[in-house]
Amino acid sequence: MSEDAARLMGRVRERDSDAFEALYDTHYRLVRGVALRMLGDAAAADDVTQTVFLKVWTAPELFRTGNFAAWIVRVTRNRALDVLRSRAQQGACELPESLPELDGIEDVALARIDAAQVRSALADLPAEQREPIELGFFGGITHEEMARRSGIPLGTIKTRIRSGLRRLRSALDTAVRA
Amino acid sequence: MNDHPMLDDIALYALGVLPAKRAASDDPNAVCAETVRAHLATCAICRKEYADLGPAANLIGLAAEAPADDAARDRIKARIMAQVRRESVVPLRRPERRGGTTRSVVWPAYLVAAACFVFALISTISNLALVGQLRDVKTQLAQTQAHSSSLARNLADERTTLADVMDANAKHYAITDGEVITRGRRIYVALHDLPEPPRGHVYQAWTLPKDAKAMKPSVTFVPDARGLAVIALPVDAHATDAVAVSVEPDGGSKAPTTKPLFVVPLS
Ligand SMILES: [Zn+2]
Repeated sequence: MSEDAARLMGRVRERDSDAFEALYDTHYRLVRGVALRMLGDAAAADDVTQTVFLKVWTAPELFRTGNFAAWIVRVTRNRALDVLRSRAQQGACELPESLPELDGIEDVALARIDAAQVRSALADLPAEQREPIELGFFGGITHEEMARRSGIPLGTIKTRIRSGLRRLRSALDTAVRA
Repeated sequence: MNDHPMLDDIALYALGVLPAKRAASDDPNAVCAETVRAHLATCAICRKEYADLGPAANLIGLAAEAPADDAARDRIKARIMAQVRRESVVPLRRPERRGGTTRSVVWPAYLVAAACFVFALISTISNLALVGQLRDVKTQLAQTQAHSSSLARNLADERTTLADVMDANAKHYAITDGEVITRGRRIYVALHDLPEPPRGHVYQAWTLPKDAKAMKPSVTFVPDARGLAVIALPVDAHATDAVAVSVEPDGGSKAPTTKPLFVVPLS
């Protein structure tokens, strides 16, 4: 799937609107799903979906290589974080500005992973690891905010996130090999 | 587990939960994305950890893929494709302006799409389905041109503004009804739902140079008929600590004479 998407993106760069439409059809569920999970309301999720795909069309050069789905999720998360920030109506916000640049560390081994495999790998994590990971990714809050809200010590949260990500990584590796 | 003190922070960085930067008032030892990035450049142990965890973290979003929804797919697609399916060059007529002349301009397709994107961005922020109502790109751009002088002034400026506002590396500082956006050394103020200033008055932007005690006057502007304004500030973002906007008499003031609508510290 990601191979096809990368090829379609090549055509989008040449202003091929059919290729763009095909990309939309295969990825709107992902973009809208992430936005919906983060924002919790359909109208806002639709707006973010529109914004993200217009960005794909207007600035396709921002995607270089690697897993297109992972890239478009990152773009979606950043736009949804903007909306969360504007809802908070705070000038100085503690939310992370963006996901880290992953260029150069894209992992070919994980390029073909699909939603069901990720869902299952996440579901297999112990709740104490899965919860801070999901809250951080979809809730857009910092680890410090998690500690404040839950009363769990900062160091414990950090360790649980790291252990959870390690476990997730190995579960995804196993899923790919299966 | 603590074989290397920074490893837990690498996981936080990979997940995207670290603050981008720390305020000067924070604990100087507290970690942020910026310090992790700097550390990654120098530490092979952490680079290896990041190479392991980063791709896994980046796939978490896949778990949220929504079930197929043909109605939603088609509804959003109609909004997007209306803006995408355009010829390479779209001729447009400038709308009538008060006492002005009417002339034709030609907008390249990428600018059409980019302008639509800015509107989409603003509508997303304001949580209005603005773009959904703007089905016709000609109408939309006519409005853009008539109402947003900074977007309409000249193509070169527009290109820079739009590229900056869209850029993934731009920083967005949310304010009520808008954003202050920095990209590299440039600063923009994007406002919506801005009421017309009282008669004989304008809005004026203010900037606080680093290490300065007083705000310096910047550009004056008025919003469009829908209350929209996108303004580029002619100062260096790296040398600026804060941005503000206030209502001032026509022609602007040397120092703010009214309480600013907002003051945004730039980190
Ligand atoms: Zn290290």
